[in-house]
Amino acid sequence: MGVVAILSFDVSAADVDSITGKVHRIDEVTVTSRRAPNKVATAVPVQTLSIDDMNRLGVQGVADAVRRFAGTNVRDYGGIGGLKTVSVRNMGAHHTAVSYDGTPVSNCQAGQVDIGRFSLDNVGMLSLAVGQTEDMLQSARLYASAAVLGITTERPYFDDSRNARFRVTMSGGSFGYVSPSVRWWQKIGSRVTTSLDGTFLRADGNYPFTLVNGKNVTRERRNNSAIDSWHGEANVYYDMPDGGDLQVKGYYFYSKRGLPGAVVLYNPVSTEKLWDRNAFVQARYRKSFSPKWELQAQAKYNYGWNKDTEEGPQFTGNHYEAVHKQNEYYLSATGLYRPVKNVTLALAQDGIVNTLVSTMTGCPDPVRYTSLTALSARWQSSVVTLSGSLVGTYITERVKTGDRPHDIKRLAPSLSVSVKPFAGEMLYFRAMYKSTFRVPTFNDLYYDRLGSRVLRPEKADEFDVGVTWSRSLFPAMDYLSVTVDAYYNDVTDKIVAFPTTYAWRMTNYGKARVTGLDVTLSTAFSLPWDIALVVSGAYTWQRALNVTDKDSRNYKAQLPYTPEHSGNASLIVETPWVNVGYSVVAVGMRYYMAENIKANEIDGYAEQTFSLSREFRFRGCGLTLRGEIVNLADKQYDVIKFYPMPGRSWRLTGIFKF
Amino acid sequence: MKKLYFAIAAVVAFGGFFTSCSDDNDEPKWNDDDSKVELPESRMYILNEGTMSANNSSISLYNPGEGEPKFVADIFFDQNGSRLGDTGQCMIKYGKNIYVSVYGSNYIVKLNTACVQEARTLFSEDPELQGGVRYLAAEDGYVYASFYGGIVAKIDANTLKVVAKLKTPGANLEGVAIENDCLYVANSYEISKNPETGQNDYIYKKDLFVVDLHTFTLKETIVVEQNPNKLLEEDDKLFLISWNYGRESYVLQMIDPDNNNAVTEIGYATNMAAGDDMLYIVDSRTDYSNWSAVTTNNTFSSYDIKSGRLNTASFLKNAPVELATSSISMMTVSDSTGDIYIGVTNYSDSNGVMYRFKNDGSYVGKFDCGGQNPRDAVFFY
Repeated sequence: MGVVAILSFDVSAADVDSITGKVHRIDEVTVTSRRAPNKVATAVPVQTLSIDDMNRLGVQGVADAVRRFAGTNVRDYGGIGGLKTVSVRNMGAHHTAVSYDGTPVSNCQAGQVDIGRFSLDNVGMLSLAVGQTEDMLQSARLYASAAVLGITTERPYFDDSRNARFRVTMSGGSFGYVSPSVRWWQKIGSRVTTSLDGTFLRADGNYPFTLVNGKNVTRERRNNSAIDSWHGEANVYYDMPDGGDLQVKGYYFYSKRGLPGAVVLYNPVSTEKLWDRNAFVQARYRKSFSPKWELQAQAKYNYGWNKDTEEGPQFTGNHYEAVHKQNEYYLSATGLYRPVKNVTLALAQDGIVNTLVSTMTGCPDPVRYTSLTALSARWQSSVVTLSGSLVGTYITERVKTGDRPHDIKRLAPSLSVSVKPFAGEMLYFRAMYKSTFRVPTFNDLYYDRLGSRVLRPEKADEFDVGVTWSRSLFPAMDYLSVTVDAYYNDVTDKIVAFPTTYAWRMTNYGKARVTGLDVTLSTAFSLPWDIALVVSGAYTWQRALNVTDKDSRNYKAQLPYTPEHSGNASLIVETPWVNVGYSVVAVGMRYYMAENIKANEIDGYAEQTFSLSREFRFRGCGLTLRGEIVNLADKQYDVIKFYPMPGRSWRLTGIFKF
Repeated sequence: MKKLYFAIAAVVAFGGFFTSCSDDNDEPKWNDDDSKVELPESRMYILNEGTMSANNSSISLYNPGEGEPKFVADIFFDQNGSRLGDTGQCMIKYGKNIYVSVYGSNYIVKLNTACVQEARTLFSEDPELQGGVRYLAAEDGYVYASFYGGIVAKIDANTLKVVAKLKTPGANLEGVAIENDCLYVANSYEISKNPETGQNDYIYKKDLFVVDLHTFTLKETIVVEQNPNKLLEEDDKLFLISWNYGRESYVLQMIDPDNNNAVTEIGYATNMAAGDDMLYIVDSRTDYSNWSAVTTNNTFSSYDIKSGRLNTASFLKNAPVELATSSISMMTVSDSTGDIYIGVTNYSDSNGVMYRFKNDGSYVGKFDCGGQNPRDAVFFY
């Protein structure tokens, strides 16, 4: 009990951050340890959640997990199929990169990634890094991002003499939710392992909700919310004889879902449907040539397709259909060099080609060529770690019709420092500055009439100062870890739809100033009778102000959907008999429009989740049973106004491993 | 005897007449039944469109005359205890009632002069009307409504029951107006898949349908500038603004029903209002040349309907400076005082602002509209 598999992706970090030292060697190839806290030694805020903790807390998906990270703002349009995007420290979802096993996921058309579609079934760890992550052997694209949400899948491990492991999962729950999944891990020889994952998910999604319209309080259903989706993934891991490590991944995702849209008073008609297909193949090669030289090379081909349909007499033939196809060709290489002791240099070079073919009116079939170069350096002593990077971006675009946008050439620096003043104390002071920008999406540039081909990048400057501390105060305490970060972000040239008389156009208009405080606390205890307690919490205070126009009524108004106070707390009790998880996510009052007036307020909410789980072991097999109740208090709330979230729901999961 | 008979008859007749007049005088000026709000005698109701998918359309009360209250934001909610809905589209006065179409919520509602609901009809269950209700006009006990999807509905003004539907050859219908027992209906655009490119193209229409209200059939189709939209009637003439994106601005045309529906182009206009034989015009243009520091400039002018003369000088005097560069979403003229009201939108950023001028163009003042995107107004004096 109380152990978490430390996977290959996190080994170096765990080495630095582990404060317990209580490492148990189970066998020759698998190392497990006591739970590790959030990283405190990093110069930038990094938060993590392991799949074990997510399971014990009854976390429903990637979006549900991410909203438990301090400083995040997940926009959730409700339901299993509803769009879910994450904005970190209010810089906007476009500034948050999502990496899947170290390789960036992108969507050049919309610019933001729907994190709702990622399954937790084969996820091992989620991490959120603000600013420049400490891993220098990464792609230039991740260097160029303001924040990185890392999704890392579980790498096969074999803790006995068997060469194959299987897992069959069956999950069912409220609103017609059924999700079976299978997993097959295979060892081929001593150096090759493979994994195959397949997940099917369907749900009616037509959850009830209470609609309050003045004196009229009615019980409604969220119709047109059904979803069917498939997710398949194959991985090959090759531990090369020369010390190299090669991972090749094939991924396929398909979904068909209803889009219920906003709840519209007096009009329940909703006919919009969305089909998504996403397939990619990616390969990552890592090799340490010597203590001084390391290399990472990545390649990826991504195909994205979606179809949006709607029915109604307003469309010719009562039917509207839009189809969008995107391709991405991606190459990345990063070299890391340690010329002298304490100094590390890295140079990353990415080349990306993105294409879009769309039935969007007037779509000029754009092709975007991107070159990203990131040079980074780190100097590390026992007291101080100083890191800096400079990212050079060159983007040029070709279109079949009309003017092409201006080329983008920019340099963006970052600098961070971490100080550990006392050798025997896990106390760190840290500070960070990072300059990033997000380029206009294809929709920003080419959407019929709305788009503008003369947009400049939207810039973001991040500043962070923080203190982190971790230690065990008494023998039963595994650790107590506290992080406090104050931050300031300046977002300028925001790309927004600008209303002019009778013509909305995308333009670089907005400015936002974000001031905030993130506090995280986590602690774990090992008690008698093999009982363990894990307690964690996060709190965010944030003032995200619109400073676009001094003459505007909304000057210095809090940005929409930004609570001043938000936070979460969780408790895990692990016993030999049953594991209990309880968590609460609380969000304060927000405004859903730019003007900070009473009429635009959305009430705050607190959503509680309770889960019970137990694992049974017999003859080398394992059966885990888990039950979850989500939104325990049946609180009716909206994350996005008029997109009501489900009330109380349940989910039962059985996982059979053999 | 005959004289006596006529004298008695005259007394009876006049008595009856005076009785009638006396009955009329006893009848309240306004139909304010079930009002929960104390109301002034003079009233301007403003329809705020709100923002799509935000269910925040509203009706505000402004008192242009004496007494209290001076202003009530969202009086529809106060009177009826529920919200107007999503995307208020059109508001007309007919008799002692107000009729409002709400596009997103897809219904029309009949209100009394206190903004208290008397009847409503939802269209979402009728597949032919699911495209959404747009504009309204009323005559002879019926309200006529245009719909996206090409339908014109004839609706009993008392019960709001749909008594007939006319399927026009149009796609998405916009502005409507009535003249000479005919309903004029703008046919704006449709989205159609281009067989060559596979792209969804906007096909802009050039039709102004004329519907005979006696037979409720399509009488003729007039060719106008493409993408016809806003339509109004004044002095037996029809005025139409077409949103032709290919011209330097939107195109203002006049249709003369007494001259075989001849179409005359008057100039450019993005909004208009009529009163006292005068058409008040604004042409708002956004200068994109210094992108992205865009600016909008409003040019105000007027058209004398009787003389047919366009006066390019502004009809406004001492107007606040900001009005010259604001986004004007509506104009209207009080049918009793001739005062001119110009509504400015701040879109979803904040409530709209209404600027009030006397009919000689002199500035009276401005006030918050109590909701976003002011779109229409009616007056009770």
